[in-house]
Amino acid sequence: MHHELTVWSRGIIMDKEARDVSTAIATVARRLGYHAENVSDYVDDPDRTNCLVRRYARFADEPILDRFVYENPHPDWVVLIEETIIKAVNFFRGTPDGQGVLVINSARDPEYLLKFLPVHMLAKLDKFVVVDATGLAEQRGSSPWMYVRDLSELAFDRMSTEGAVERLAIGMGIAAPLIGALVAATGDLPVDAVAEVVADRDAMLRGVKQHTVVARAGEA
Amino acid sequence: MSVRGTHVPEHLRLPIAGVTPPPTEKDGQRLFPTGNFRFFRPVFRDKTPPCNHACPTGEQIQKYLDHVKHDRYLDGYLTIMQDNPMPSVTGRVCYHPCETVCNRAAHDEPIGIRGVERFLGDFGLHLASNPVKKDLPPLNGKTVAIAGSGPGGLACAYHLRRRGYASVIFEAMDKPGGMLRAGIPAWHLPEEILDQEIAKLLDLGGIEIRCGTRVGAPGGPGLDELDRDYDAVFLALGQDVGRRLDAEGAQARGVIGAMEFLRETGLGRPARIGRHVLVIGGGNTASDAARSAIRLGGGDATIVSLEAEGELLIQTEDLAQARDEGVGFRPNSALVRVLTDGEGNVSGAVLARARLARDENGVRPEITDATETEVACDTILVAIGQVQVLDWLPAHYIERGLIAADEFGRVPGESGTVFAGGDVMRGPSMVVDALGDGKRAARDIDRVLSSQQLEPDPPAEVMPYEKLNAAYFRHAPRTEAPLTPAGNRRTSQVTEVTLSYSREQARAEADRCMSCGVCNGCDNCYIVCPDVSVMRDARQNGRYSIRTHYCKGCLVCVQECPTGCLEKVPEMDFDEPDAVVRMETAFAPYDGAHAEQAPFTRALIEDAIAEYDASRSKSIDPNGRGAS
Repeated sequence: MHHELTVWSRGIIMDKEARDVSTAIATVARRLGYHAENVSDYVDDPDRTNCLVRRYARFADEPILDRFVYENPHPDWVVLIEETIIKAVNFFRGTPDGQGVLVINSARDPEYLLKFLPVHMLAKLDKFVVVDATGLAEQRGSSPWMYVRDLSELAFDRMSTEGAVERLAIGMGIAAPLIGALVAATGDLPVDAVAEVVADRDAMLRGVKQHTVVARAGEA
Repeated sequence: MSVRGTHVPEHLRLPIAGVTPPPTEKDGQRLFPTGNFRFFRPVFRDKTPPCNHACPTGEQIQKYLDHVKHDRYLDGYLTIMQDNPMPSVTGRVCYHPCETVCNRAAHDEPIGIRGVERFLGDFGLHLASNPVKKDLPPLNGKTVAIAGSGPGGLACAYHLRRRGYASVIFEAMDKPGGMLRAGIPAWHLPEEILDQEIAKLLDLGGIEIRCGTRVGAPGGPGLDELDRDYDAVFLALGQDVGRRLDAEGAQARGVIGAMEFLRETGLGRPARIGRHVLVIGGGNTASDAARSAIRLGGGDATIVSLEAEGELLIQTEDLAQARDEGVGFRPNSALVRVLTDGEGNVSGAVLARARLARDENGVRPEITDATETEVACDTILVAIGQVQVLDWLPAHYIERGLIAADEFGRVPGESGTVFAGGDVMRGPSMVVDALGDGKRAARDIDRVLSSQQLEPDPPAEVMPYEKLNAAYFRHAPRTEAPLTPAGNRRTSQVTEVTLSYSREQARAEADRCMSCGVCNGCDNCYIVCPDVSVMRDARQNGRYSIRTHYCKGCLVCVQECPTGCLEKVPEMDFDEPDAVVRMETAFAPYDGAHAEQAPFTRALIEDAIAEYDASRSKSIDPNGRGAS
């Protein structure tokens, strides 16, 4: 088994979410005895609002030899923290054909979202997972975590989190349902083990249950 | 290029730093297509300004104010003429629903739209030739019969002509104009202005007015005849019969209907009026009649109304002008009895305290007992509403004294080509309502005659004040239209009360327009965009474009748009394929102009590798030849 997870996000306003997803997956994998790596800060500028940023994790049965190649060369798990990234970039670069699992945070209809993928990206797709992580996270009610708000509204906000004290807890806010949906849709890591490392356990379990999977294996 | 223990697959090798030009160079936007940063896309979408929405004719007020502001008076005039054939008339007599809803009222004071309209209308009357004429289509051979040459009938004829239809207007009076002539005093609307506006209409060709022909009366054509002989019929009969007073002594000599009084004076016929006049009624007709009575009789006039002081239905400016001219008011009063002298002439009236009581059945007078007082007077003008004689129409055409019509103003009937509009359909209303009905009827008659579906207007999105960026509009006082001094005007039946704006005043007033929801080409978005993504391809209204490949969606333009015509739309709502460049990596070194450089940069890398490999192979040459 060898999986490469690339989390795509946007600078500042949802950087922490992306890091939490990759950190949680790598942490669990290591606890379970896999060889695992987490690259939570590399190359991309997280200090630019809305700028595309990536976070990487990978785990395998075998030792990982490409340990200094920080950017995943063959990502088969891709998480989009925010839905417009589906239009923005070729996140399936290097993904083997028919093996990509794409998890997207969106409240939209999966068929509408799939319209944005060109043929060469559809060819890479195995499972298309849509989870309304923002909605699921917001059910926490009076959550002090600011990133459960609608991300696009946050982008319009001129507020920046630079200099703010960041939460050390892993997996709060919208990261939790995304982790849940990813783990449930891929099935390689046990949900219980993942739930142990995610701070917002309830939201993660909501993500496990409430997501839509469109199986696309082999279709283009 | 090689680090021990790592494998850098070739497709992940990035170009060498420094090879790509910086974004400040000419093609920076092409090099770095950052459109995919965007959550919201700024979109130019004009909304309907409240003035435009409130105007029954749908005048594009924002548009012509913008023309006036830039000294483009002919363009402004032509803009009005698209919707309203007689701006010189409405510029004088309109009760300006546009000004009532003007967003500027929430800011400081509403814009003097009527004054600017009048300025443009008079500008049009002074033109040597009618500029509308040259763009008219040829007549298409179809003719529409129009009953009534009031504002509704004239507007319908005008808009039909713009669509290529001829029309024949039947007018009961000797002169055309309907209530514009017979209901509005000359000190409000000078006769020559009305004559000029009508002459301008007739000059278009294809419009015929047959005066002295009352539709439905003996000797005049009936509805069946019109329906048979013409392609369509528009009934704009108006309401020119005043309601009778129902009080003891109402038959006395000197009790006159205000409508009849205004008609006689409007048509230039001698009208007898006493020196002490009571006007019964609390609306605009009462005010007009009282003011005319002062001018003609040289005495005094008092308006007796059931309405309280604050309830009077008289237009605010008219009320103030009437007070200035010395019109007296007896609010909360009702006429109980008319007193006569021995010869049957009015000698006075008995008034009582009263009020308008409102309940679920509407309003009704409620007289307080034992409050009767006698007032001396020699004339009583009755302005308690109007009706129209419709007994010549089939009974199913009539509902509560008005012509019943569907939402398109179409009268139910077999032919489906009979329309109605104006007061006879909606009850007493404004000149501009009738003008609007005429315009809509012309559009709908055109649709029916060309076998199209009748459709209601699409719902308008009206721009509220709260959505404007009010910080951009300096407070500026309204320029009130100048008035003739009360002392000069109260002696003359023809001296106009309200005067025109000067050119400077009209321009200053137009310049106050906040262009609610409509792009007026202010360049603000173009200036504030930090990323040079707003392009001013053609510097015309609303002709900016957004570089969607590059705009990052910071929305500064949306926040700083004074008029609110720019709005944010979620990027995901746009599903057209190529509006955003999909980057190959986060930094797009293989997209846009980078892609063109890719072979070059790849060659650089390959050359470097080859050179490195060559040097290594030389240094470890087993034959010991070594580096040269």
